[in-house]
Amino acid sequence: MDVKYINPFIEAFYTVMPQLGFQKVEKQGVSLKDQNLSYTGVILTVGIVGEIKGNVVYFLGHEEAKKVASVMMMGMPVEEFDEMSQSAVSELANMLTANAATYFEKIGLTVDISTPTLLYGNHVTVKMSSNQVLCIPLVADDIPIEVNIAFS
Amino acid sequence: MAAIRVVIVDDSPFSIAFIRGILERNGLEVVGEAGDLDEVKQVINETRPQLVTMDMTLPGTDGLECTRAIHEIDDKIKVIVISSMMDDEIVNEAKANKVSGYVQKPIDEDALMTAINRVMASNELYQFLSEEHTRIFKEALLDGTNKMTKTLLNFKEESTCDHEFESKGLSIIVGIIGKFSGRMLIDLKMDTAFKMTTAIMKKEPKNNDEVIAVLGEFTNIVSGNACSILNRMNKALGLRVAPPTIMHGESVHITAPDFPTTTVQAETEYGDILLNVGFQRGDGQWM
Repeated sequence: MDVKYINPFIEAFYTVMPQLGFQKVEKQGVSLKDQNLSYTGVILTVGIVGEIKGNVVYFLGHEEAKKVASVMMMGMPVEEFDEMSQSAVSELANMLTANAATYFEKIGLTVDISTPTLLYGNHVTVKMSSNQVLCIPLVADDIPIEVNIAFS
Repeated sequence: MAAIRVVIVDDSPFSIAFIRGILERNGLEVVGEAGDLDEVKQVINETRPQLVTMDMTLPGTDGLECTRAIHEIDDKIKVIVISSMMDDEIVNEAKANKVSGYVQKPIDEDALMTAINRVMASNELYQFLSEEHTRIFKEALLDGTNKMTKTLLNFKEESTCDHEFESKGLSIIVGIIGKFSGRMLIDLKMDTAFKMTTAIMKKEPKNNDEVIAVLGEFTNIVSGNACSILNRMNKALGLRVAPPTIMHGESVHITAPDFPTTTVQAETEYGDILLNVGFQRGDGQWM
């Protein structure tokens, strides 16, 4: 899979997270994984269709998801991962992917995105839609968010 | 078709008369007028229009505050701003406040009517999709099951899904993109998936990977067929599907999105299949 697909997601993270009130944004080493991922926590999947086709799947921990929701809701304390905080985290996945789509447009690739679907659970096996998955670990204020990209 | 019911929000009697003239000449029905926030709330509550034309500068309030108040009463009401001010910043702010269109004063009749037609067409198209999608996706599920397993299925309860639910074992998610975006999801027990795969492949699958691959393809076919039928019914929908993402694990909870989805239970020879589908109302293309 082409590495040029990585940058739009990193750019999106660096653009969107500070707008939401996160102070420190970092990227860790990109890695290539196979089709089957496993995760315990919150999983958001967004479909992509256009000149490239596939899915982006975001992973973040249960506690971390509450922290993200809290920051997005102007620091309001989030005790439970309730509908309001689920909605905030879904909106984050939507914003990050929509923003990445505008960066794709800048490199000449027009893409549209679906609505995000949010799930959570333990030891969830996620079968991605392509044989190779690009994994970008990103961190915002010490909260790790993993971006997994599968384009066919 | 019944005339589109409109409320005009403006503090200038001249502007109101002018806008009313354009709307009535074009067959729309003006059902109310308002000049400040209190009047807006009262008139919207009483008349429940489909469309509001909104001035930006109003005494003691502004067009965006009034738009938010309208959407608190009914978020299906479309708002088109008519204002002398128009720059990127104010237009972006209007978009952020769920305004559907923006027309600059002095008002050009054609520009206003084009904006209204575009906004209302989008509204009607969403209405059409909301009314038809469940039936079409059910049909595609029935048809897909029938063609691939040579068996039939019975639909049981159908409900609007507004809370999270726990996966029965295997969840297959397909993102949908087009004039309106959405998602389709199929959820079933691993055992049901195993039996279905056996029926489709006419032999027992070697492992879970094979089951997952077959159900992924099954879901892809069902969602693709349903979207094709909807596109044939109305070309403007332009629906396309993303490849499926497949999940299974322990106590997997699937949350309800911010938009309404419909959940249908289907009884098959292999066990129950849950179908969940919904589309987000968007404002479509901005003028």
